[in-house]
Amino acid sequence: MPHITIEYTILLPVLILQIFLFPLSAGWLMNIWVDSRRTLALQEAASHIGSSIQQVYYALNHTSVTAQLVTQKLDVPPFIENYQYTGNATLKSILDPELKSNKVLEITLRLETVGTTAKASVILGSNVMWKESTFVSSSANACIVAEKFANGTVCLFFGG
Amino acid sequence: MAGSTIDHLISVTVFLGAMLIFISLFNQTLQTAILYQRHSALATKCSDLLDNMLLNPGIPEDWGKSDVTPVGFGLQDPEFTQYRLSPFSLMRLRSSVGEPVYYPRTGLTYSNITMGLGNFLLVPYSEAINYSAVAKLLGINGTYGFQLSITPIVTVSIEEIQRKNPLILSVKVTGVNFPLANAHISYCLLTIPIGGGSGSYPFYTIDYGTNFTDAQGSVPLSFPYVKQEVSYVFIVYAYLGGLMGMGYYEHVTYIGSYIIPFIDDFAEGRMLIAHSYDVHNDTDTAEITYNATFVVLAEDFTLRSMSVENSTGKLTYGIGWPYAYVTIPKNVRSNPGILVITYRKSAQETGVVLMPWGISSLAFPVVFGGDPTGQEWVATDIRQVTVNGVAYQAKLALWSLGG
Repeated sequence: MPHITIEYTILLPVLILQIFLFPLSAGWLMNIWVDSRRTLALQEAASHIGSSIQQVYYALNHTSVTAQLVTQKLDVPPFIENYQYTGNATLKSILDPELKSNKVLEITLRLETVGTTAKASVILGSNVMWKESTFVSSSANACIVAEKFANGTVCLFFGG
Repeated sequence: MAGSTIDHLISVTVFLGAMLIFISLFNQTLQTAILYQRHSALATKCSDLLDNMLLNPGIPEDWGKSDVTPVGFGLQDPEFTQYRLSPFSLMRLRSSVGEPVYYPRTGLTYSNITMGLGNFLLVPYSEAINYSAVAKLLGINGTYGFQLSITPIVTVSIEEIQRKNPLILSVKVTGVNFPLANAHISYCLLTIPIGGGSGSYPFYTIDYGTNFTDAQGSVPLSFPYVKQEVSYVFIVYAYLGGLMGMGYYEHVTYIGSYIIPFIDDFAEGRMLIAHSYDVHNDTDTAEITYNATFVVLAEDFTLRSMSVENSTGKLTYGIGWPYAYVTIPKNVRSNPGILVITYRKSAQETGVVLMPWGISSLAFPVVFGGDPTGQEWVATDIRQVTVNGVAYQAKLALWSLGG
């Protein structure tokens, strides 16, 4: 009798539980991997957009460059695992005395539907302005637009 | 009954074991894939960061020629575009390889890029830009570590074949493992004749010339007027189809005491001239006199000597005249050049030291930033750049501090 109890009340349920546990653990591991992969891809895109903005700003900030409007096509993937992503940015003043009157542009990208987010910050000069705009990765015309004014101010925003 | 229970026990154990093996193997594979993606992202960041450093002059644009602390970091020459770097901005980077030098007379510590005895570049820490400040300006403080190396591509090596009657020097110009045949060379030989001049300051003569290298990238140069062993410095620029390099060679008859130049003020072009005893506490405390000149490379690739303010003086160790100043004139201060300082203890005991004004003038390499040794993964990227026409390779090593 005790053998039957052990067999049917403990071992059989454990076996059945394992049948469910096996795919569940596989799914759990896969989710971790997929999340990490998406976050890294989004982070890489955010960092690259930040660097591109910084390069466009510094190129226009050069004294030899006169007032004009330029656009820079972004070399980032339109989709990350079939999801499009959107981005916006906010310009803030820096409190660090070493960085004086510089401004920091904080770029936030969000993977649509999934909700994964990634941030990147770039430091720009004091003569920069940011125009509220949204970056849409799937847009065929997604770009950075930069306009230099006669007084040397550089206005940046997402185009497309 | 007992047999069936044993079957169950074994099957549960086997199933459990299989699941554990699966999880550990699967996890390992996934971690490897995530690491690969992380490293790929680091490589992209490295490339972006290198371009950000090399393709903007920083804020203010002329920070390399002034004493101000930049509020935007960039190394591009403000007078040019593309990968042309400012020789002065590079001079203000605190070297991460040279042993810092403390000079008790000023109470300051100096960043040290010294390429052997007699070739100095010593910048006070107060004027040099440090690694953490640059990391902040680049927006990577606490997230990434980096090391930037700027190394000349063209090697101009000079060998002394015969020291006197006549002086014969051999110049060899090589690129990356290949000789630069038929390269145009422009040189300048500054000699300190024995007993020359009427005063107590060292007297020097300068001879300029041009020539071409042969198929092996070499050319011998003879100077018949050098009859006796004298102190001299030979400076040569070599160029071929837009690729330029430079080299130098010195021979001195006296090194017991010598001159050590320190940068005192970038904006004013002022150098502090110190006695070697006060810096290294050597045994020789002899009084020495000096005579300085400034050699620049003109646009037609010929070398020219310019006078400097307060070019002559006398130095003793400790007391009396512990140090002096020489100033590069305002009209040539914005050009890179070489400060050549001849010194003399007696008519027979003389020497010469060099200091670049602008890193490219003596093709000094620069290593700036942290140490990549021991980091889990380091991404590197390179660009070919020019610094005042001299060909260099810029290499950035980047690693994540996030673990």
